[in-house]
Amino acid sequence: MKVKCPICNKESEWEGNPFRPFCSEKCSLIDLGKWADEKYSVEGEKAKEDEGEEKE
Amino acid sequence: MPKEEAKKTQYDAESIKVLGGLDAVRKRPAMYIGSTGPMGLHHLVYEVVDNSIDEALAGYCKNVDVKIHTDCSVTVIDDGRGIPTEMHAQKKKPAVEVVLTELHAGGKFENKAYRVSGGLHGVGVTVVNFLSEWLEVEIKRGGKVYQQRYEGGKAAEPLKVVGKTQKTGTRITFKPDKKIFETVDFSFDTLSQRLRELAFLNPGVNITIEDERTDKKHEFQYKGGITQFVEHLNKNKTPIHPKIIYISGEKEGIQMEIAMQWNDGYSENTFSYANNINTIEGGTHLVGFKSALTRTINSYASANNLLKDLKEGLQGEDVREGLTAVISIKLPNPQFEGQTKTKLGNSEVEGYVKTILNEKLSAFLEENPSVGKKIVGKAADGARAREAARKAKELIRRKGALDSSSLPGKLADCQESNPALSEIFIVEGDSAGGSAKQGRDRRFQAILPLRGKILNVEKARFDKMLSNEEIRTVITALGCGIGKEEFDPTKLRYHKIIIMTDADVDGSHIRTLLLTFFYRQMTPLVEGGYLYIAQPPLFKVKRGKVEKYIKDDTAMEDFILDAAVEGLSLKPKGAKTEIKGQNLFNLLKNAARLQGILKRFEKRRREGEIIAAFAMEDSFSADTLKKAKAVNNLLEDIKTYIKTFHPDIMPVEFSTDDDSEHDCLTIKAVSKKNGAKVETTIDWDLVHSPEFQELRAIGKELKSVGEAPFVLKTDGEEKEELKIKTIKTFKELINHILELGKKGLYLQRYKGLGEMNPGQLWETTMDTEKRTLLQVKVEDAVEADDIFTKLMGDEVEPRREFIERHALEVAYLDI
Repeated sequence: MKVKCPICNKESEWEGNPFRPFCSEKCSLIDLGKWADEKYSVEGEKAKEDEGEEKE
Repeated sequence: MPKEEAKKTQYDAESIKVLGGLDAVRKRPAMYIGSTGPMGLHHLVYEVVDNSIDEALAGYCKNVDVKIHTDCSVTVIDDGRGIPTEMHAQKKKPAVEVVLTELHAGGKFENKAYRVSGGLHGVGVTVVNFLSEWLEVEIKRGGKVYQQRYEGGKAAEPLKVVGKTQKTGTRITFKPDKKIFETVDFSFDTLSQRLRELAFLNPGVNITIEDERTDKKHEFQYKGGITQFVEHLNKNKTPIHPKIIYISGEKEGIQMEIAMQWNDGYSENTFSYANNINTIEGGTHLVGFKSALTRTINSYASANNLLKDLKEGLQGEDVREGLTAVISIKLPNPQFEGQTKTKLGNSEVEGYVKTILNEKLSAFLEENPSVGKKIVGKAADGARAREAARKAKELIRRKGALDSSSLPGKLADCQESNPALSEIFIVEGDSAGGSAKQGRDRRFQAILPLRGKILNVEKARFDKMLSNEEIRTVITALGCGIGKEEFDPTKLRYHKIIIMTDADVDGSHIRTLLLTFFYRQMTPLVEGGYLYIAQPPLFKVKRGKVEKYIKDDTAMEDFILDAAVEGLSLKPKGAKTEIKGQNLFNLLKNAARLQGILKRFEKRRREGEIIAAFAMEDSFSADTLKKAKAVNNLLEDIKTYIKTFHPDIMPVEFSTDDDSEHDCLTIKAVSKKNGAKVETTIDWDLVHSPEFQELRAIGKELKSVGEAPFVLKTDGEEKEELKIKTIKTFKELINHILELGKKGLYLQRYKGLGEMNPGQLWETTMDTEKRTLLQVKVEDAVEADDIFTKLMGDEVEPRREFIERHALEVAYLDI
């Protein structure tokens, strides 16, 4: 199986790759750093009470 | 005096200065050539070749040929001036004999014969001779050919003239002494590598190597010098700028050359040389190079405002990420230091390199702003990565993250100590966490409440994330550590990690975040099948006194239909028997499935009933589209059908188009829905889609039941007029029956886990006897990562598409 590295998008082999799903230790570490630094978030829903204000 | 001076700049017997004879080389060979292993063995060849290269540097030699013979002796031939053969005044021996038998004798100790020269330890061919079983030298010089043989480091015969020649040059053949070396087996590849390096460093010199044992041959000549060297080093890499940067200069008799190019990788590949010697330990030239490179690129970047978000600027390691560089210095009096004498010590070199690089690289960057931007961009990425890595290390190192003896306070651990029998619920939200703590079986179930951190983005949106604290809590609770060095799945404290989140959007986001984190940073846990997703019910239904939890929409549908078919019978037009019980249930399931598919078409703004009309028409197939006449006949039938059963979407206008790609027709239908125009296309793609195929299959089954209109009979206590009903379409049928089924039904939709009390949570979701768990497979995790990437990504388009696509999959049963 080939996977795209979540950090650099490079394709790498899954089997036998100690850093899977990453291409390298570096990319894996960058990812961990982003979790640690709270860089990852998913977009939530719009705040309802503010919708009216936005239009004003 | 001038006479004497002139004499000395010649390379003759006079210029060989004797520093004293030592014959202890054979006793302690490692002192002179580093080792008696393969390194030292190959070093013998380098010493001889270095002499030839010195002649080349001085401008007298163009070709150097190396041959490995079958008996493991080696010959080095050059076309330099030839080692002097004249009598040495002091020693009363031919100069060549002095060179070969007197340690620290040679032209290199007087800068006048060779302005620069290599030779790692300055011991030269003398040592080669001393450590050889035998050595033969042939010199072409002054019109004559001389020969002499040495054995065990001593002259076996006097230097003799064997012939005449117009050429010049030296040929040395030697056989390393088996008594001294652990191995006398020369490696063709090792020698080739060094000779190639020499050819790069000394452009124009043609170097060949031939292995008579295997008939392998190489020829090295690189007119492009170290620029070509960098090209060679980068040949399997992707450079970020096409042209190799080349800088050269000379100061106070020190020549320097630098060639460099950045590639898209992360590793630095810098080679430094001083007088052709690979200075593995670096030294002043490398220090100068590194510091000037960092400074120059930083000042270029800040002058052009390229480092907006980086306050600290670029560090050396950032700047050198992905750099391939060769630095070559040639200087008159090299001082080598360090354990292996491969560190350049001349202090003045550092300043010279700095000055030249600074001046010339700045000019280059100013003249090539696009290259400059790319280099700075790459380095800035490196700086950001370094920062991220630092934070990752902090996360790993921070006390407690790996130490399971200090479990997080939020964790309600279980009593079981065998991981194989233990499970942990990672529960979203404190209130649900509280219920889970009360409802669990504490003997083997642990609870870790997790509250996704809410991020207020510009007061308009609340984004979800896992805080640093929470990630650490998860890592600590699981006990298996994180990061390349610390992660150890055998230390996992629970063999079932169960993610339990609400069935709403926020819950699914937290689940996606967790799955992504596990997939990326604790991959073996996903592969090992340790990760599960809890399946809390979506509904609670109550009919009379019976309460039931229902896990999803499909189960809900089954429940309602099951209740509805009781006491119900259906009679199609002209049929003799009635359909009831399980048969009726199956029929209704099919009808519901059919409606489900049509709903999906309608979400895509197509008229489901028109598509259904085609799907249900037996005479229609993909081939029909190939015949204009058949299409016309078909359209008439379809129109009649729609007029009869779905007058609400009339009028429908049909038209046809050519589909040359599939050599058939495309049918377009324009109809009305709630006053809006709806365009439905019946084309090759649609007819071949799995959804259409499924419609056809269901349609076939439904039609086998009988034809509309249907007569529905209810026996029960309901009012008389409800007991018998005539129904025209399957849509009407299923809607009517769902209505019937929902009667007397009290239904509660669970939006959050917190709406269940501890007992209910246990019963529905946590009790091993009753619950269903979804085991996460790698593919699921890949998909979660994909979802995650899209949900958080900067690319708006894929995210919008994604949300729409998933919105389509929301089941139609809207209660």
